[in-house]
Amino acid sequence: MASTACFIIVSRNDIPIYEAEVGSAVKKEDAAQQHQFILHAALDVVQDLAWTTSAMFLKAIDRFNDLVVSVYVTAGHTRLMLLHDSRNEDGIKSFFQEVHELYIKVLLNPLYLPGSRITSSHFDTKVRALARKYL
Amino acid sequence: MEPDVSIETSSMIRVAVIPVGPVPPNHLRDYSAMLLRHCTISLSTISSFYTEHQKSPFSNQPWDSGSLRFKFMLGGSPSSPWEDFQSNRKILAVIGLCHCPSSPDLDAVVDQFAAACKGYPSALVQRCFGFCPGDSQLEDGSKREGNLILFPPSDRQTQEFHMNTMVQDIAASLLMEFEKWVLQAESAGTILKTPLDSQASLSSEEVIKAKKRRLGRAQKTIGDYCLLAGSPVDANAHYSTALELARLTGDYFWYAGALEGSVCALLIDRMGQKDPILEGEVKYRYNDVISYYRKSFIQDNAQRVSPLSFELEATLKLARFLCRRELAKEVVELLTAAADGAKSLIDASDRLILYVEIARLFGTLGYHRKAAFFSRQVAQLYLQQENGLAAISAMQVLAMTTKAYRVQSRASDSKHSLPSEIGPSYADGGKMHHHSVVSLFESQWSTLQMVVLREILMSSVRAGDPLAAWSAAARLLRCYYPLITPAGQNGLATALKNSSERLPSGTRCADPALPFIRLHSFPLQPSQMDIVKRNPAREDWWAGSAPSGPFIYTPFSKGEPNDTSKQELIWIVGEPVQVLVELANPCGFDLMVESIYLSVHSGNFDAFPIRVNLPPNSSKVITLSGIPTSVGHVTIPGCTVHCFGVITEHLFKDVDNLLHGAAQGLVLSDPFRCCGSAKLRNVSVPQISVVPPLPLLVSRIVGGVGAVILYEGEIRDVWISLANAGTVPVEQAHISLSGKNQDAVISVAYETLKSVLPLKPGAEVTLPVTLKAWQLGLVDPDNAAGKSASGSTGRQSKDGISPILLIHYTGPLTNPGEPPENGSSVPPGRRLVVPLHICVLQGLSLVKARLLSMEIPAHIGENLPKPVRLDNGSTEEVTISESKADGLVKIDPFRGSWGLRFLELELSNPTDVVFEISVSVQLENSSDVDNPSVDQDAAELGYPKTRIDRDYSARVLIPLEHFKLPVLDGSFFVKDSQADGTSSGRTLSFSDKTSKAELNASIKNLISRIKLRWQSGRNSSGELNIKDAIQAALQTSVMDILLPDPLTFGFKLSKNGAGHAAKLDSPKESNVQVPSTSKGSVLAHDMTPMEVLVRNNTMEMIKMRFSIRCRDVAGANCVEGDKATVLWAGVLSGVTMEVPPLQEVKHSFSLYFLVPGEYTLVAAAVIDDPNDILRARARSVSSNEPIFCRGPPFHVRVIGTA
Repeated sequence: MASTACFIIVSRNDIPIYEAEVGSAVKKEDAAQQHQFILHAALDVVQDLAWTTSAMFLKAIDRFNDLVVSVYVTAGHTRLMLLHDSRNEDGIKSFFQEVHELYIKVLLNPLYLPGSRITSSHFDTKVRALARKYL
Repeated sequence: MEPDVSIETSSMIRVAVIPVGPVPPNHLRDYSAMLLRHCTISLSTISSFYTEHQKSPFSNQPWDSGSLRFKFMLGGSPSSPWEDFQSNRKILAVIGLCHCPSSPDLDAVVDQFAAACKGYPSALVQRCFGFCPGDSQLEDGSKREGNLILFPPSDRQTQEFHMNTMVQDIAASLLMEFEKWVLQAESAGTILKTPLDSQASLSSEEVIKAKKRRLGRAQKTIGDYCLLAGSPVDANAHYSTALELARLTGDYFWYAGALEGSVCALLIDRMGQKDPILEGEVKYRYNDVISYYRKSFIQDNAQRVSPLSFELEATLKLARFLCRRELAKEVVELLTAAADGAKSLIDASDRLILYVEIARLFGTLGYHRKAAFFSRQVAQLYLQQENGLAAISAMQVLAMTTKAYRVQSRASDSKHSLPSEIGPSYADGGKMHHHSVVSLFESQWSTLQMVVLREILMSSVRAGDPLAAWSAAARLLRCYYPLITPAGQNGLATALKNSSERLPSGTRCADPALPFIRLHSFPLQPSQMDIVKRNPAREDWWAGSAPSGPFIYTPFSKGEPNDTSKQELIWIVGEPVQVLVELANPCGFDLMVESIYLSVHSGNFDAFPIRVNLPPNSSKVITLSGIPTSVGHVTIPGCTVHCFGVITEHLFKDVDNLLHGAAQGLVLSDPFRCCGSAKLRNVSVPQISVVPPLPLLVSRIVGGVGAVILYEGEIRDVWISLANAGTVPVEQAHISLSGKNQDAVISVAYETLKSVLPLKPGAEVTLPVTLKAWQLGLVDPDNAAGKSASGSTGRQSKDGISPILLIHYTGPLTNPGEPPENGSSVPPGRRLVVPLHICVLQGLSLVKARLLSMEIPAHIGENLPKPVRLDNGSTEEVTISESKADGLVKIDPFRGSWGLRFLELELSNPTDVVFEISVSVQLENSSDVDNPSVDQDAAELGYPKTRIDRDYSARVLIPLEHFKLPVLDGSFFVKDSQADGTSSGRTLSFSDKTSKAELNASIKNLISRIKLRWQSGRNSSGELNIKDAIQAALQTSVMDILLPDPLTFGFKLSKNGAGHAAKLDSPKESNVQVPSTSKGSVLAHDMTPMEVLVRNNTMEMIKMRFSIRCRDVAGANCVEGDKATVLWAGVLSGVTMEVPPLQEVKHSFSLYFLVPGEYTLVAAAVIDDPNDILRARARSVSSNEPIFCRGPPFHVRVIGTA
């Protein structure tokens, strides 16, 4: 498992709807905020890159210091963003695909308003389990 | 590293610009601005100042198209250790700026300037510009030779021209100096060193190596000077040589430098034009440059010095060159690579510059979030410096990032975004589409926003900017309170207070803090102040202009769209108005709002501030009031709040948007809901217009404000007093009724009101209104229930069941003293709603009504008793008058009362008062004119009053005999004749119908003639509604009451036998003991001639057989049988008779009574061939059933001795 990883789902309106620090490193608030700043900045790159490829997984698109940003863009332009320091691309791809499925399940919930924050604890548990498995 | 580098930087001549002597800042700015305009001096313009001393080394100088570029370093700059490597880093000229009025001594100025120039040993040209010299200074200056140049005071244009000339002179001097330097460098070997070259003891090997390299480096430097001199072709030639030499000697660093220079020369040569081939060439060469710089990295002196900054600079230069949207990917890669280098930079300020440049380039590229990210990195580096100036820089840099993080202060974006936001939301009445709501909250990344705001707060506190700190803390608290712990919220509140203490009182801030304020409602004006639009074209000007009633929506006005935005409020100059707003404090501290008032920008409204204290986590609805001061429109965008020591404006729209976002799950929390406030429909601010003063009527019910308590059916007058409390007279007024039970109002003295118009301000008028209490029906059963439960609680008059008096009134059409306005703006009228609070108590109630019949046989006499149908009320011996106390029913014994019926009304008094009732029957004209004996007067029969105590019942009997119809007509049995079907034409059925209607009318007539009045106490009286009850009681037997029998039989003593009569009379006279009253008595043992009169009451001939029976007291038949006590002459049974319609037929017989006593004579008939009418009357079921008809019994008293 990667020592640092920050996973965030950003809605099509650029609002983070799910965020999780999934790294094994000791969590510090400052670092977590810095992670989010990096991911936020990477949105600029995603915004251009998403339209140049038909693949959903955009691979590593940005980096800052030794942290790499990998992005997976769904058809509805929801972006699954992972900030990580490991280079396990296959694992990240699988992670994204499985989280995408989970996200679709959340979307299917009639009580979930698309674009609003995902508060399901079940989702959270599953995402963390996937992170342990793949990252 | 240096900021703002580009490929062209290599061709710029660096000039230090320094102030000499004291120069006021604004002047310094002015002078430097004048100087900075001359960055590029074309070679053609300096030719006049240029004198060729020797043969120029710049053989290919483009005199017609080339130019010299200056880079002015304001305030100068320290010399760089890399000056030898890149000649453009040298300060080649120094320009002093002197403000002569503040430095009177020119000698001192010259000395100062000379001293300053010592710091720039590389400077080839020094000039000091003196501005605004005095006359003496001019005089003095003109005498001296040297660097000091005085600008004679003149207008700006001349000065600028002067400045231009001076810069051209400097440029020409520099050019000549460059030539000199190049010639010198070519001839004499110059030692060129960089910090990269080993400073340690030079070994012999090193010296040889350095010697070899020296030539290449010299060529490169000459190339640099060629570039500075504006001759790219010459430069390129030298660079080519330098590249060759550097490659041979493995001098990678200088190779890279020469390559960089050659690219610059290439670009200068192409004069800024960009084509793909050139771009490709530049990219290719620069990538080489970068890789060679990287190659020149030497491990052993990496701790001390590194070519890394040159590599990064080269990267930034290339990025800047490529910085276009289409090449975004490459630029991002370059910048990301540059950012990676930041870690390895030794110098913190180098890192700062790097980040600044990266941020700027990302910003140019349109990647605002990236730019913001690196700006924040810059701010963090500044904050690490721990000094005030750095903190100010950090604050300013962070302020630039706020737009990308969407936390900008409203002050910064109010200019452009606010009006566009107001527009649509105002137009569609606050109705927001989901789409636009989402767009409002786009990119709201709360974690980042909080961090940025916190950093702004921290940096502005450190920089000593209390307003910025206040604003940041306010934004942080307002937007992110759900994410902040109560302790953190308290900390922010303290920060707000501390900042405000350092601000002057009355400071305004564009960013609101707490509380959250939303529009709650516009309270409906009290009904006394209702305003009605006036339609000047109509007499009833109020009609159709306002909803009639308390409802905003009425189904009758569905034609016009009931859009909330169309809603309009009318306020009146000088009359205070109120607006309800709801405040919420979702934070964990007590919020003290110093003052809050409606913020109105139209300037015609005086708002009254109030002070509010909001406990933690609470919301409060407060009333804000104010007075419109002049006619026009009023818009209320929000409230002005003085809280935490700063005045802010809170817009309702913002909170509305926030609530929308909360509903969509886009915002963390709804501040009102988390305070426990109910969800409120979105209230839009209606259009408010202010109109000139109107009259104001105030109503008061004379004699108490409570409800008028009436018993059912009671009639009473109330007085309503109306006063004009306005400042304008009432010119027109109209009263109408509305609401339920409108018929309870019998009369309103409208004329009284009319007569006092115009009602002057302060005048008062009293109107009497007559009320009649309605019946408590099933419609309000709870009232009755309340009554039975407890008498007192039932007295509450409920809203909605009482009638409402509507008074529409207006002032004069135009105000006196004002010019008449155009017809469209008629001042509106007003409506006063006076609810007549009527509390109806259950009064006397009718338990039931039923019909009783009574049969008293008549005495036989010489005269036939008057037939019932001819009765003119003699049953009661018409003598009954209302004055008579004992108006009892009297019965004539000779008359009997066969067929007399009584209507029994059972009344109960469930109340706690005593009622007195009186029944009256009105005798009206009968419609039948054939009957001459009907009482023509519409007399009224009164009965004595009956008193009913509380909780008692009483019965009242009403005789019903005045109502029989004279003729039994087939028309009353329409149904039967219809069923018969034979020969019944249309005309018949028509007449039948009318007759039926006639019957119904007569029934109604009968019922309506019976009235039951009651009285209770001194002033309560009324009438009981018994119509329905009577109708129900009469329903079954109405025919019996109204219709006569088909045949009537009447017995009488026959008079035609005079002898009989005499005989009869004589013993009566002789026999003294015979009471005179027994006039109708019959003597025993005497043949008594009698007659029976058979009358046909129908319209057709009746054939019948009839018989007469005589019974004794025991009821035994005494005519026939063994023990017959009566002998007879004539036919008594089986008499066949035909009676023509409406005629009487007499049948005579005689009886001889053997035994004195009481006998009863009864006649009965069997009708032959009865028609349908008779059948119907007899209610026979089958057609072959015989129809009997029996007459009333007659008493015969037989006197005498047995």
